[in-house]
Amino acid sequence: MMDVIQQLREQAKKLLEEKKVDLVIGFGQGTELARTTPVFIDSPEGVSKLTWGPFCANNLAKYLTDYKNAPGNIAVVVKGCDSRSINRLLDDNQISRDKVVIIGVPCSGQLEWQKVAAEIKPGASLKETADNGDSFSVKTDAGDYKFDKKDYLLHRCLVCENPNPVVSDLTIGKEQPVKNYEDRFAEVQALEQMSTEEKNAYWDKQFSRCLRCYACRNVCSVCTCQICVFDQMLPMWVSKRTNLSENTAFHLTRAFHVAGRCVDCGECDRVCPMDIPLRKLNQKIHKDLGDLFESPTPGTKPGLASPLGEFSPGDPEEFM
Amino acid sequence: MLKRLLEYVGFEPGRFQARWISGSEGAKFASTIKDMTEKIKSLGPNKKMRDDIL
Repeated sequence: MMDVIQQLREQAKKLLEEKKVDLVIGFGQGTELARTTPVFIDSPEGVSKLTWGPFCANNLAKYLTDYKNAPGNIAVVVKGCDSRSINRLLDDNQISRDKVVIIGVPCSGQLEWQKVAAEIKPGASLKETADNGDSFSVKTDAGDYKFDKKDYLLHRCLVCENPNPVVSDLTIGKEQPVKNYEDRFAEVQALEQMSTEEKNAYWDKQFSRCLRCYACRNVCSVCTCQICVFDQMLPMWVSKRTNLSENTAFHLTRAFHVAGRCVDCGECDRVCPMDIPLRKLNQKIHKDLGDLFESPTPGTKPGLASPLGEFSPGDPEEFM
Repeated sequence: MLKRLLEYVGFEPGRFQARWISGSEGAKFASTIKDMTEKIKSLGPNKKMRDDIL
């Protein structure tokens, strides 16, 4: 991973020195070993903050919307999944292509930091990480660790569709093999098989825990409305009361609002402080979109119309 | 899509129905509403997303 970090810093430095961009958004080492934090670098001296490794779970594409009206150009570091967000933001006219420099980094998976942090000696600092194919080795000043991908990867990474960025101006690091996962929707299918009562009990248990912190909305790269339906007071489309009924209404509205645009980056699921499996809602919609409209995951190609945003004579007409 | 999502989170199949009926199709409207009322009566009162269930 060291060569990737080196190249990343060199390229970012070059972009800033040549004034091609005014800001580089990337990953920087966080306060804990197994966490990174988004860094915003506006001078060539700052590039030493940039890092890369198996702890870069954030989707940084979301930050581009904050700089939509700012002068100057912005470079952003993206993984394969994040690059789908870029395509989607471009298609939604949320960002303009000539203002963004996309630094794509092929990714071999991201580790779930909680699981890793539980293994590593507290207070240890990170020396180096390396990808061994089916595991990551993490070298620290308190010893070396090895984490098997099948046990420690984020759920979403286990069925990754785009390990390589689908859109980028420059790519750093070597291309990763693309795998085809037949059982991509296994979890959704298992839920679909349940009886109505079981499904009801399962989701009631999930939704009743919701704190309505709106982290899932804030992190979502396709949630770009200036005024959010959940913030509006007049008219109050969805009540702000935190109870099972209103939480259910909130989650269904949120999931359906991003239907056809959700790029399945899995960030909502990752940031939920109550561990509500939000991706199982979004994935259900992905599965249905695939079944009904044969549409691929949004963002995998530029200019992909949302299946719910356009009419085609071949659309299924179950309501006629 | 919405119907499938609702059934996925535990609404009974048939609780939510959508039909396209033109203004000139009075008979279709009447029969659809009749079927729908029967279906929903047989399902009993809705238990999800109610104001009195907190």
